[in-house]
Amino acid sequence: MAECDAEWEYSKENIQPLRQGRSVSALHQALCQQQEGNHTALNLKKQEFESELRLYDGDDPLDVWVRYIKWAKQTYPQGGKESNISVLLERAVMRFTAEQKYHNDVRYVELWIQFAESSSDPMDVFRYMQAQGIGTMQAVFYIAWSEEHEKRGNMKMADSVFQDGVKCGAEPSDKLHAFHRALQARVCRQMMTSMTEQHRNDDDEDDEEPQRASLAELKAKGKKKATVPINRVKASVGYARGLQFKQPLGPKQNSRLMIFDENKAESEPQEPRFEVWTAPPAARAKENQQKVEKWSNVKLPLKSRSGLSVAVPPPKPSFQPFVEEDDQPPAVTPCKINPAVNSVLSARKPSRLEQTPLKKLQEKQMQTLEDGESREQSMYCRDLLYSGATEFCFEELRAQRYLQTHTIHNLKTPHTSTHCLHTNTDK
Amino acid sequence: MSGRAAAENSGTMTGANEFKLAQGPEDSVSAVKFSPSSSQFLLVSSWDGSVRLYDASANSMRMKYQHLAPVLDCAFSDPTHAWSGGLDSQLKTHDLNTDQDTIVGTHDAPIRCVEFCPEVNVLVTGSWDQSVRLWDPRTPCNAGTFTQPEKVYTLSVAGDRLIVGTAGRRVLVWDLRNMGYVQQRRESSLKYQTRCIRAFPNKQGYVLSSIEGRVAVEYLDPSLEVQKKKYAFKCHRLKENGIEQVHPVNAISFHSVHNTFATGGSDGFVNIWDPFNKKRLCQFHRYPSSIASLSFSTDGSLLAIASSYMQELGDVSHPADAVFIRQVTDAETKPKST
Repeated sequence: MAECDAEWEYSKENIQPLRQGRSVSALHQALCQQQEGNHTALNLKKQEFESELRLYDGDDPLDVWVRYIKWAKQTYPQGGKESNISVLLERAVMRFTAEQKYHNDVRYVELWIQFAESSSDPMDVFRYMQAQGIGTMQAVFYIAWSEEHEKRGNMKMADSVFQDGVKCGAEPSDKLHAFHRALQARVCRQMMTSMTEQHRNDDDEDDEEPQRASLAELKAKGKKKATVPINRVKASVGYARGLQFKQPLGPKQNSRLMIFDENKAESEPQEPRFEVWTAPPAARAKENQQKVEKWSNVKLPLKSRSGLSVAVPPPKPSFQPFVEEDDQPPAVTPCKINPAVNSVLSARKPSRLEQTPLKKLQEKQMQTLEDGESREQSMYCRDLLYSGATEFCFEELRAQRYLQTHTIHNLKTPHTSTHCLHTNTDK
Repeated sequence: MSGRAAAENSGTMTGANEFKLAQGPEDSVSAVKFSPSSSQFLLVSSWDGSVRLYDASANSMRMKYQHLAPVLDCAFSDPTHAWSGGLDSQLKTHDLNTDQDTIVGTHDAPIRCVEFCPEVNVLVTGSWDQSVRLWDPRTPCNAGTFTQPEKVYTLSVAGDRLIVGTAGRRVLVWDLRNMGYVQQRRESSLKYQTRCIRAFPNKQGYVLSSIEGRVAVEYLDPSLEVQKKKYAFKCHRLKENGIEQVHPVNAISFHSVHNTFATGGSDGFVNIWDPFNKKRLCQFHRYPSSIASLSFSTDGSLLAIASSYMQELGDVSHPADAVFIRQVTDAETKPKST
């Protein structure tokens, strides 16, 4: 166990924070298993979930998904591809879009919210949810949506989302109201601080020596123009929230506040709309991904600034410059990364862009509409094979059915047997 | 021929050149494999937990041994030793002279495939525990465990190379003489789950079949020139009322002499293909149920056909499982010279 404690210390930066926190024992176990490179137990557990997904015949199939995702989050603290969480979330939410009974099930709504947070444009997902009536009776939906607006600095929309929620009668209403009030409080406080800041900047010459008060709001005080951002709270909050005032609510209408109005045109049309997505959102937030842009026609603006005509290439010298034989410049620019060598850091292919989850969902809905016309029919239970995060083959499905009715006697119960196996192999 | 005579005696003749094996398994057939030395002996593994040895020429069962759970695959290492593995995750070898079982080792999950590589004299098992293990048939003992990226669904041996097909449509080519690294990592050229991979007897490539009525012919040589020759085609599809029913292609077996191959699908048909001229050589009559496994005998004179429902459409009632032994002619298996 001591080893594991050390392991946890060493891999702090590989542990993704979870909103609901992590269980220490699960974290220990996960890190130990990873350190030992023992994936057998994990795979067996995963397989167990996968088969449960397929063979469940109770009336709450969502439950398996919820447990599976929860397990995956606890077991793969670093997230990433191996955990399959994004795939799982995607499959889980897609699977029950037609199930009316889950639309306002808080577990399902939570899955959607997690899915939204992992996708590149959560707004689209939230709008989709609203259009489909998923979570419209759940306070958590409005809270998550409003937070997303707030993150983008659109306080007005954040507020109107709450108002929508109240209008729809989302439950639990006291939670909704509490978050709504908290938002309003934040907005007010920021407005106040920014106005006092404004005020202080005007007459900060006659202020006293800078002082820091503990556990109190830091204020910019000083003879010098506040060069040091003394009020750290304000600076960071202001930056993160990007507060925008549409109508200054304070009593003093400071003309300098009106600067924010120029963003009005951009942020205004963000009304919830029930339209088809013009540009489908990317599957999930990917690292190192560059937007595809047209490069061929891009010109550097620098040239036009100098008086010279833009397109004239530098005149070629009429003589052949002498070049020392060993001084040949390298044919390739040295900084260029050879993709064959450096495969680890190669850019991700943007090929999946046209296959975003929402688009897939729409396609699926279209397909079910015109299913009668499809000319091909798969003569096997395709839904069962592909319904989980990983695929199954016929034999696996049949094996699970077999194991449900039979027990293989000489084998110990799965848990103890796997445990024995890895203690044996590792020591 | 004595086989035919015996078949006539037991009254299971299903055609002039074909008979049904007597004393067949009690549950679905998972694999049929002919002996490497003669076309007389056939191993049949089954979901009833048994592995049976048949004398195809006398149409009788010679021997039978039992696993604790359904058996998913079996193989000969030499004419007197059978190997098998299945849901109990145990690899068993059976001495066919003394009728003695030995449990050689275990995987962490059910064993899906068992193959023997005569060139390297090693037995290979692939399992849903995402590993391939090698076994020395002489001692017999484990000779190494090699992790695969996904659950192993099928594998085949081409000379000293091992071709592994896993879930997630991955194909890995290993060198059995140097298992330190994966020689080639490929993706199946077919869009859906890999059902079966079998290597050409000439060791230059392999044939891969998918769950969705398609077969691909691929080459091992990674050079562009050779890779250009690879191709895929649709098969095992039936048109019914204007709807094309697409069946899984479950089984492939190569004719060792002509390098042609037979495919069997869940539609109950067996087709024989000429991969060089890209032609179908023949199609046999429709068998009562899905074709689960196929095996040409070493000399290429017989084809064992396991017609057995694989629960592709769930656990429903289905025609009886059976193994057919069919005599094949050169006209059916030899490429037509043009």
